[in-house]
Amino acid sequence: MKKLALAFNIAALLAITLLLYTPLARLGLLPSLPSLFRSGPLTIEETPVIIQQVKNIAQMFTQTFYDEYVYDTGPIRTPVFNQDKRLIFIAKGEVIAGFDLSALSESSIIRRERAIVVKLPPARVLEVIINPSGFETFIEKGVITFEESKKYHEDARRIFERNALRKGILRNSAEQGREMLEKFFRLLGFETVDIIIPESR
Amino acid sequence: MNLDPNKKSRARKRLLILGAVILALLAVNVAVPRKKVPPPLNARTLKDLAELATVEYSVTKIIAHKDVAWYGDRKILFETAAIVKAGIDLNELSDGDIRREGYKAVTITLPRPRILLFNMKPEHMHEIFNESGVLRSDFSNQEKDALLSLGEKDIRAKVATMDILERAARNARILVESWLSRMGFASVRVEFRGPGGRK
Repeated sequence: MKKLALAFNIAALLAITLLLYTPLARLGLLPSLPSLFRSGPLTIEETPVIIQQVKNIAQMFTQTFYDEYVYDTGPIRTPVFNQDKRLIFIAKGEVIAGFDLSALSESSIIRRERAIVVKLPPARVLEVIINPSGFETFIEKGVITFEESKKYHEDARRIFERNALRKGILRNSAEQGREMLEKFFRLLGFETVDIIIPESR
Repeated sequence: MNLDPNKKSRARKRLLILGAVILALLAVNVAVPRKKVPPPLNARTLKDLAELATVEYSVTKIIAHKDVAWYGDRKILFETAAIVKAGIDLNELSDGDIRREGYKAVTITLPRPRILLFNMKPEHMHEIFNESGVLRSDFSNQEKDALLSLGEKDIRAKVATMDILERAARNARILVESWLSRMGFASVRVEFRGPGGRK
């Protein structure tokens, strides 16, 4: 009986300590319990950034589409004794569209006195950008490998591109390209400016 | 096993007090609010750009992290790659930046080049080593994202100190000169705004 009472007293004292600690930790007056076992601030070792390739390009960016998307894998069933998995993350990034002007040839620019005709290639999506700083894990259940999470991140990029295309990024990109070049050629003194842009497929 | 009735009632009292204290503390725990997570925003917007990218750098970096603790270590290594494009923002070009002398000669003052785009694609990231001690939890996705973000920050900082902007300026000059020559201008002069110049 004495042993039982002692055990009960110890349990009660532990419960009181825990219950006293938790609200104080929540108010920020004490470190939270998990943080006692958590590692310090994340840091990375000093390693060099190596240039693999330098390329001369001629790309005109005329439209950007900012997007924010909540990606939910939904519950992923795993073998009987394993916990079901789920990953929810927020992805923030942008899709950039414009023209690849490196494809412009001699015949793409025709000048007659104060008139000019410029034939551009069709507008296209040039980049879909969601950098690591653009991913924010919201819920992570079960063991999700790096390869699996990479697959979901790549899927989020495809969703961004699809959303941008639905929103009419290519049409807007072509329009903005036309306006921009017209303004530029008029500044150069051309009175008649004709910009030909084939429709994007 | 027969206990003194006084001791029994004292033990009962103590139990009651303990029970009351636990109940009161439970009530306090319920009353103190938890931190609320703000709901995600939905911001889908199209915006006009007028940028000319003239150079592209492909770079790589190994991201390494060692977490040494008294109850075990954790180590992880990633191989990452990024694409950085630099060029000029044509929105900054104004009427005064283009000076024509007749229809055969032109002088154009371009804005200073800057980094226009930074892209770290998931398919170019590889986890090449990941080890956690017996008493340590595995690296979560949140931690991996945070480490990759630190790597991204470091690449951005280091690329900015490379010669990318000089190359972007050189290529912009070549591009603009070649386009204007094709348009029939016999004399083309391309200048860049000085750091202390206009704007």
